[in-house]
Amino acid sequence: MSVLDVLLAIIFYPPIWQLLILGFGGALLIAIVAVWFERKAAARVQRRIGPYWASPRLGGLLHLVADMMRYMFQQVIIPRTVDYFPFLVAPIVGMAVSILPFAVVPLTANPSYWPLPPGLMEYSLLLALAISTLPPIFLIVAGWAANNPFTIVGGVREAFIILAYELIAILSLLAPAITVGSFNIVEIVQAQGFFKWFIILNPLAFLAAVIAIAMSTSAFPFEIPESEPEVVAGPFTEYSGILYALNMGGAYMRRFAFSLIASLVLLGGWYPVVPGEGVVMGYLLPSLVVVAKAALVTLAISFLRAVYGRYRLDQALDLAWRLVLPLTLLAILLALIEAYLGIVQPVKPDAAPCKYLLLIYSPRELLVLDYISGL
Amino acid sequence: MPPKAVAKTLPRRGGLFTGVTDNLAALMIGLKYFVNPRRFSIYYPKEYPELRQGYRGFIILNKAKCISCAACARICPSAAMKMIRVPVPHPKEPEKKVTKQFPVINYQRCIFCGYCVDICPTEALYHVNYHDIVYDNLAEMFWDLETFQKEPEYKTALEGTPVRLLIHEEYGLVKIPARGVREDGE
Repeated sequence: MSVLDVLLAIIFYPPIWQLLILGFGGALLIAIVAVWFERKAAARVQRRIGPYWASPRLGGLLHLVADMMRYMFQQVIIPRTVDYFPFLVAPIVGMAVSILPFAVVPLTANPSYWPLPPGLMEYSLLLALAISTLPPIFLIVAGWAANNPFTIVGGVREAFIILAYELIAILSLLAPAITVGSFNIVEIVQAQGFFKWFIILNPLAFLAAVIAIAMSTSAFPFEIPESEPEVVAGPFTEYSGILYALNMGGAYMRRFAFSLIASLVLLGGWYPVVPGEGVVMGYLLPSLVVVAKAALVTLAISFLRAVYGRYRLDQALDLAWRLVLPLTLLAILLALIEAYLGIVQPVKPDAAPCKYLLLIYSPRELLVLDYISGL
Repeated sequence: MPPKAVAKTLPRRGGLFTGVTDNLAALMIGLKYFVNPRRFSIYYPKEYPELRQGYRGFIILNKAKCISCAACARICPSAAMKMIRVPVPHPKEPEKKVTKQFPVINYQRCIFCGYCVDICPTEALYHVNYHDIVYDNLAEMFWDLETFQKEPEYKTALEGTPVRLLIHEEYGLVKIPARGVREDGE
């Protein structure tokens, strides 16, 4: 056993690789790149240049890094009238919760690298969807804690939007589970195989999911409560400095986390890579493929800024309740018909005991040894 | 009798099909310009559009020609121009002082309409073709009589290159290097 093995064991320990490196680090990177892409794509379509002067050779990519540094060192102003504790905690917990779906979804079919024991993995899709409904609570808390008519109205508008999208998102992402007959994400991905992705089998569900992701994360046609270019930024009017950056970046991270679930259940997950044995084939490549697909979905949703203007609140609610919700129900119907016809065959993944759980309950040396034996 | 409240409804334009096709068309236009952009921007401090003669830029006073008629201050629609009294030597007896009125300008209010230049009977006021001068504070935008007589220093012209702009149907904005803008014959 060499040092390299120990390092690999630590890096590819699922909570570290999946939640910290791909989850937090990847989401931070995606947030920066998505903001940059959003501005550059909108500028390209609207006959402008976009961010340019900071690092012209990179197309202004470092502009966003500079922005992040500025947010980090800006003075955080906390008005005297706010409810101090929730005001401070809401953006931090909101962002922490928004990347939590990474902690429960499997990024490979190899059971050694599942983040949950096989018994819990049976319900991984339900768990991920349940966790993804948590962050909007903290947006409303942020608006309420700022104790200001504008922010409270912003929070109420946010609540309207949340009520509209939540049902659509959950139903449209559960449609593949109906077709396959399982809440296990591994089973759903393996049932899709190489060609029978649910974007082809059930395009209505994908369309509804994309609209729901855009609504949930204030992507452009639905950027109603927090309209960033304006003075009153919905629930975040009173925020400044790093707290505002957390709020703003949190939306992009939530978009990425939702895109991850969508790319697993609708876009064929880790296919075309078939997970095998070992770290590289079993965990590294499949997880990177999944994250790349999620990044593509995130960037595609960011591109909408170039095309759409902002809806009014009543237009967005009208769209959600009168058009997209029936569309989602149609997607469910389609999923039921496909389940009846037996278009996809569920493949039971072999559920070997999860190696890394032994890590938690055994002494330290043993844990590493035990984990490496599974590599 | 209070006016009767009437609920107005806007006619709905098109149906579901029109909505879907309109959205798709918008997305296709977006993709088209994303693949093949037509940019209308110029990199401003490095390039700047060449301004023609007669451009209504900053206004400068030629004090020697001014006859104190105050037509400029009267015509000014935004009241940017005011007359001030300045002691000057008497034209026939130089040891005697008389007060004469001269215009001064407040560039916080000026809208660059050029009425003052048009109405001036002796052409004492004239435009220079500069329009982008930055001030550190608002007080600098009140020009006193001395400042009003000097042409402002045009820093952009020292850093950037002048271009001439053409709008092309196919390629968007076309930039042609302007020649003959500099005094040194380039």
